[in-house]
Amino acid sequence: MAEEFEPKIVAFLCKWCSSAGSDLAGVSRMQYPPNVVPIQVMCSGSVSPLYIFNAFKKGADGVLVSGCHPGDCHYIEGNYYARRRIALVKELLEFVGLEPERFQMSWVSAAEGTKYTEVIKDFVDVLKPLGPQSHLRREQ
Amino acid sequence: MKKRTGVFVCHCGINIAGTVDVKKVADKLNKHAGVDHAEDYVYMCSDPGQKRIEEAIKEKNLDNIVVACCSPNLHETTFRNAAKAAGINEFQCEIANIREQCSWVHKDMDKATVKAEKITVSAVERVRQNESLEPIGIPVTRRALVVGGGIAGIQAALDMANTGFEVVLVERSPSIGGHMIQLSETFPTLDCSQCILTPKMVEVSKHPKIKLMVYSEVQEITGYVGNFKAKILKKPTFVTDACTLCDECTRVCPVVQSNEFDLGLTGRKAIYIPFAQAIPALYTLDITGCPGLMPIACGKCADVCDPGAIDFDMKPEIVEEEIGAIVLATGYDLYGKEEMAEYGYGKYADVMDGLQFERLLSASGPTQGKVLRPSDHKEPKEVVFIQCAGSRDPEIHCAYCSKICCMYTAKHAMLYKHKVHDGQAYIFYIDIRSGGKNYEEFVQRTTEEDGVLYLRGKVSKIFEENGKIKVWGTDTLIGKPVEIDADLVVLAMAMRPSEGADKLARTFKVAVDKDGFLAEAHPKLKPVESVTAGIFYAGAVQAPKDIPEAVAQASGAAAKAIGILSQERLFHSPMVAKVVKNLCTGCNMCVDVCPYDAISLEDGKAVVNDVLCEGCGTCSATCLRAAISVKNVTPQQIYEMIDASVGG
Amino acid sequence: MVNLDELKKEAKRVLEDGKVKYVIGYVKSKASNMAAPAFVTDPEEIENLIWDPTCVQNLTKFIVDEKKRKAQQKKPDTRPVAVVSKGCDSRAINVLLQEKYIERDDVFILGVACEDLGVIDEKKLAQKLKGKRFGELTFDDKKNVVATTTDGTVKVPVKEVLAERCVECQANTPLIYDVFLGEEDRRKPDAPFASVEKMESLSNKERGAFWQEQLSKCVRCYACRSTCPMCYCDECVVDTINFAVTPDTTAQEKALRIKWIERASTKSENFGYHLVRAIHLVGRCIDCGECERVCPLDIPIRFLNKKLEKTAKELFDYEPGMDTEKPALVASFKDEDPEEFIR
Repeated sequence: MAEEFEPKIVAFLCKWCSSAGSDLAGVSRMQYPPNVVPIQVMCSGSVSPLYIFNAFKKGADGVLVSGCHPGDCHYIEGNYYARRRIALVKELLEFVGLEPERFQMSWVSAAEGTKYTEVIKDFVDVLKPLGPQSHLRREQ
Repeated sequence: MKKRTGVFVCHCGINIAGTVDVKKVADKLNKHAGVDHAEDYVYMCSDPGQKRIEEAIKEKNLDNIVVACCSPNLHETTFRNAAKAAGINEFQCEIANIREQCSWVHKDMDKATVKAEKITVSAVERVRQNESLEPIGIPVTRRALVVGGGIAGIQAALDMANTGFEVVLVERSPSIGGHMIQLSETFPTLDCSQCILTPKMVEVSKHPKIKLMVYSEVQEITGYVGNFKAKILKKPTFVTDACTLCDECTRVCPVVQSNEFDLGLTGRKAIYIPFAQAIPALYTLDITGCPGLMPIACGKCADVCDPGAIDFDMKPEIVEEEIGAIVLATGYDLYGKEEMAEYGYGKYADVMDGLQFERLLSASGPTQGKVLRPSDHKEPKEVVFIQCAGSRDPEIHCAYCSKICCMYTAKHAMLYKHKVHDGQAYIFYIDIRSGGKNYEEFVQRTTEEDGVLYLRGKVSKIFEENGKIKVWGTDTLIGKPVEIDADLVVLAMAMRPSEGADKLARTFKVAVDKDGFLAEAHPKLKPVESVTAGIFYAGAVQAPKDIPEAVAQASGAAAKAIGILSQERLFHSPMVAKVVKNLCTGCNMCVDVCPYDAISLEDGKAVVNDVLCEGCGTCSATCLRAAISVKNVTPQQIYEMIDASVGG
Repeated sequence: MVNLDELKKEAKRVLEDGKVKYVIGYVKSKASNMAAPAFVTDPEEIENLIWDPTCVQNLTKFIVDEKKRKAQQKKPDTRPVAVVSKGCDSRAINVLLQEKYIERDDVFILGVACEDLGVIDEKKLAQKLKGKRFGELTFDDKKNVVATTTDGTVKVPVKEVLAERCVECQANTPLIYDVFLGEEDRRKPDAPFASVEKMESLSNKERGAFWQEQLSKCVRCYACRSTCPMCYCDECVVDTINFAVTPDTTAQEKALRIKWIERASTKSENFGYHLVRAIHLVGRCIDCGECERVCPLDIPIRFLNKKLEKTAKELFDYEPGMDTEKPALVASFKDEDPEEFIR
């Protein structure tokens, strides 16, 4: 039997909320699929569009940017800049035909281990039927 | 020269090794380009574990290391210190989090192992481009600012001042004392609240190290830990120091306003002193009621003032203060009348809140401590106390428990019985929370010695009929409806952050929690710290608290602040933004986005103030020319980490 | 109507007064039916200037060039340059001012109104003329373009062959100028994003296929980038060809310049290039359409920028080049910015 498609997800997690929330999911021994490899960044505001395009080019099937809820940013307002920037990147990616499901953003606080788990589970679930991302992927 | 990297994979007993094949991870990393040493060990954080790291660094001449273990929030410091002990810069050590973000959340060993490898390779690629950095030292302004002059603020200010540091204590009302000065007696000892607080208030007013600023509000805070600058607005009182406290002005003032000190149970004049023991002892002219700041409009107070202390031309003043640490102690307010219509609060004169009842009980109150109900000044014989008025009601009110109400309601009922021996007190409650030293015994006394009747259940309806307040409720223990013809109803209203707490949070750049209280940096391990370095919390500004807790937290906050003020220099993370001048076009975007105003343009190029920069990197994502990036989380590093994350 | 003599008079005056270094304007091209940019230093040559719907280029690009040239000179002539500027081009000047790339004193703006016309799209005209070859284009006072073809002269209303961007124009009158010529008529198009909306109405799959086809064609000649006045960086983040190495450049900087995008004109790299370009132009592109006009492969590049222009307008109420004092689109936010897309 052919092996089930396992999407590769690159997740940019801010250090203070989302990465800490992901830590809490671990501490609470919540279970979610191992498809995500997190990259800890200082703030969701530091995620450059170049990172996102690059992850897709390198073969990511999905990219997640996750930061603190509005008002909770460790850096006061970095997540607000992220929200605007990511909205633009998302619109652009969909306009050129990337499936909208492949690029997601979430607010996950340090206390939201459960939410992080759900975000990842749902992301993997939605990516599986889409199959591998080839639209922006580097030719092999 | 080629950099030599070492990788240390921790088993964490079976915490990691139970799900991740740690030997396989070490093997894989051993084969990874640029890795000169990789090993696994059962507990890397143990003393022998750290020794292995130090020895490997020395023996294998490693330039940098990765420890694949638990979250960097736990042992990053441990391993960075080990790296330092072995002679390499602490920033040449990075953590690969393969426990919280891998072994603990997965079951499939093969898949978890592959993921752990990716996480570790990612950290290797990052550390190989890390710069060696030294913490940035900054001098400290050795003064503190305390905002809020209630018991918490007073305690924090005194603790710091008595240690020898100057303190600026800012209070927005005309006197310090906060809510505690309004209380009658305090549980569980029944000390007179004013008797135990006024000595501290006097100490504040006489303290050579404390600069007291009442009727003042902090408008702006700039700077950073150790070097804050505050702009404080001093509102005009229109009364100068020449005042001799003769009280003639109050006598002639024609305007009567609601008296805040008695929570509206009495009135006061537009020119007034808040209460007898007010600190500072100063009159204030409240312009919200005064017919006009000019002799033509009224001017009676000025006419009778012999020393000429009334100055209608007094202007608001902005005072700038430099401080090194800040304690926020702005306390609480009671949940609003307007939000509790169901209990007739605000509609019926004889339905009052707990603080108003405190005033009725207080010797300094409107009735000199006699319990008389507001509507007809008669002694109430049946009094109903309702706990959790607004608290523990996630549907329409506050979800949280206000914590102190069980105890003060017990105290109210007890004090009522002490004053009205033939009266009956009923308490509607959900359950009794009496955790605290001698608290449970106190509650027992109210029922056993004072015959207070506790009714477990909620009140469904309150209405006025024939001069009585009808209270309909249910006693859920016997499962029967209860109907009481009460003379007085006292609501234990929920505590909420004092008015303006949201604005305070924005001014001080600290976070608020879902209930509007200020959010601490860590719920367990950093309960007095805010997320902003150098700003601490004392008292109910952070969560509902009783007096001993507020005082304890105030002393904790003071100790934390002293921890900063006692330093010659503070050290700041050197992971700050750096500009590649060649690429910068001076477009100003990074300057605009920087939350800390740490970037400015000089000769058309961005320049980072290392001391102000917190390293968030928003500038770097905004810059179109890749001309600015944060040290040790550069785009180059992220580029390699994406590679590692996507992997094969 | 813009009085050409008036334009020449003003241009000549500032040149003769020595107020400006030179005048950037349009002249008849010897090689093309469209106008050519001209750099006039001799007041006598001002006579050659033209102004008609063939003046397609965004001359703001040459202000950028001038700035770069000045940076190379030891003792540059600091006088401003005069530039003939359409409404759209003036927005580009505004962006340069907003980004502090130039100072207001660096330019003397001869603003020209497009009124109810704009510039023509040569391809549209060719279609109208059904492939007939045409020579010189002139314009009559009835707003027709008069083309000399092998079958004699043909008249086509300019409105029928207007460039798409002029149909969707948001600024037919210059927003910033020192001298203004023509009628101020700030019309707003009925459907400023009609072309993008058409694209948006396609399914995600269809759009994907469309862009796969279009972007596969790109040969990465970088004409779009070269002609864009907003692409003024000395070094573009997508390639390291012109990495500016100066005495302060460290070895590490040299070694670590990332190849976000490879030079190879493969499909994925082309996607990368165009995505980065689009996202770097959001809130900055003022839709002069030059990138698309100069593309030798007929890639509808303008769509990408127009899409983001639409997004910025709809989501953030931001219009590029309208206000020089406001912070840039991505360097600002509002509390109420939409976040429905965020989980």
